[in-house]
Amino acid sequence: MIFNTWDYYLLFLIPSAILCRAASPRLRPWVIFLGGGLFFTYFSYTQFGGIVGVACLAIFLWESFVSRFYKPSSWFCWFGVTQTVVFLVLFKYRNFLTGLVWPVAGHNPLYWKNAFLPLGISFFTFEFLHYAVDRYKNKTEEGSVTEYLAFILFFPTMVAGPVKRYQDFLPKLRSISREWVVDWQRGVTRILTGLVKKFAVADVLTAYTNHLNWMDISRAQRAVLPLWLFAYGIKIYADFSAYSDIAIGSARLFGIRVPENFDWPYLRANITDFWRHWHMSLTSWLIDYIYIPLGGSRGRGGQVYANILVTMLISGIWHGAGINFVVWGLLHGVMLVIRRVWRRIRPMPSGTPPLWSQLGSWLLTCVAVNLAWAFFCMDVRTALFFFRRLLIG
Amino acid sequence: MTTFNWIKHAFDYVGGAQDEPPPGFPIQLGHWWFWAVWWGAMALAIYVFSGQSSKFIYIDF
Repeated sequence: MIFNTWDYYLLFLIPSAILCRAASPRLRPWVIFLGGGLFFTYFSYTQFGGIVGVACLAIFLWESFVSRFYKPSSWFCWFGVTQTVVFLVLFKYRNFLTGLVWPVAGHNPLYWKNAFLPLGISFFTFEFLHYAVDRYKNKTEEGSVTEYLAFILFFPTMVAGPVKRYQDFLPKLRSISREWVVDWQRGVTRILTGLVKKFAVADVLTAYTNHLNWMDISRAQRAVLPLWLFAYGIKIYADFSAYSDIAIGSARLFGIRVPENFDWPYLRANITDFWRHWHMSLTSWLIDYIYIPLGGSRGRGGQVYANILVTMLISGIWHGAGINFVVWGLLHGVMLVIRRVWRRIRPMPSGTPPLWSQLGSWLLTCVAVNLAWAFFCMDVRTALFFFRRLLIG
Repeated sequence: MTTFNWIKHAFDYVGGAQDEPPPGFPIQLGHWWFWAVWWGAMALAIYVFSGQSSKFIYIDF
């Protein structure tokens, strides 16, 4: 509820973007850092945890302090990685993980009754980890502390991405685009497009997707069940791509381009291509920091398949602290493995495939992805009940 | 460029995701009358559909 509020545009985006453009290169990181700090404080206080949420700004300040000790091949980088993972686990997964041991909350001695998530923790975790690992491998320069603070507190992308890379962001921060008119024309158009997708598509579909619960599924006619799930597939795309449009458009007002996140994913004809065009900044992060360190596509078939499954399992858990997200991630992992096995058995023919083949592949991918959303939007028990009703009646 | 890719490119351009229009597209960035009407239409759609309180799905879920 941030990008669809007047507060965001009038109090933060427009003043910060104008100040950032007007500031000298030396002051620019300070403008972004202070704007991001105020943004975090305001929205944490009003929407994410109150005073305790605001105190989580200390995570950014601590991280920026610790990051000064990240040097190539230094063990301190791994300390940074560890502390970042600990922050994420403490806030996001504590009740989920302890709940596996003590399923009843009342009997769970480690249950956190007033649990809350610091604003953007799932996303700033990625940027902290990326910086620590890339500093270890000497893939990025250190930059100044204010430049690093500007990177992690750049508010258009702070809350839900796109996930940036420091080595891409730094040159843009040091030399922002001077094409005010084009940037603002494109930025405003992108923001408006995002808001239309959110209000006129995603929110409208909520009327249908709200039925994806046990009670409504048990009473519904079978024929409407796939329509509700398909509506969810469109809604989640419209919702998240709208968010990304607004984030990318907002960054453009600053004169800074951030990575794209979606490129017509539902038009892709196989699951691998789908993931290359759905939440692209997440996919490339997972490839670079999970899949490749595990061994990537090197090694024997079984090892590669295991790497894919582990990567998608982590993707699933990252999406939410629940067994249903684990199942959703693994389902996509299995689909990616099946696709890889299929391509080993039947290598890609040279030349463009016939139209019927392309349409068939597209339809299969579309149906598989949309059926898998059942485990994203419902708990496992309800999702299985949904499929039982869908298939048996 | 295939017709299919041309249409995708045109949508991206009108939606702000591309800076350059596809070849032969009649609207340029300098055509302010078009963008004024387009922004107005989008603002109207936002106004008509706003008020259905719902949060973004991906913000920490």
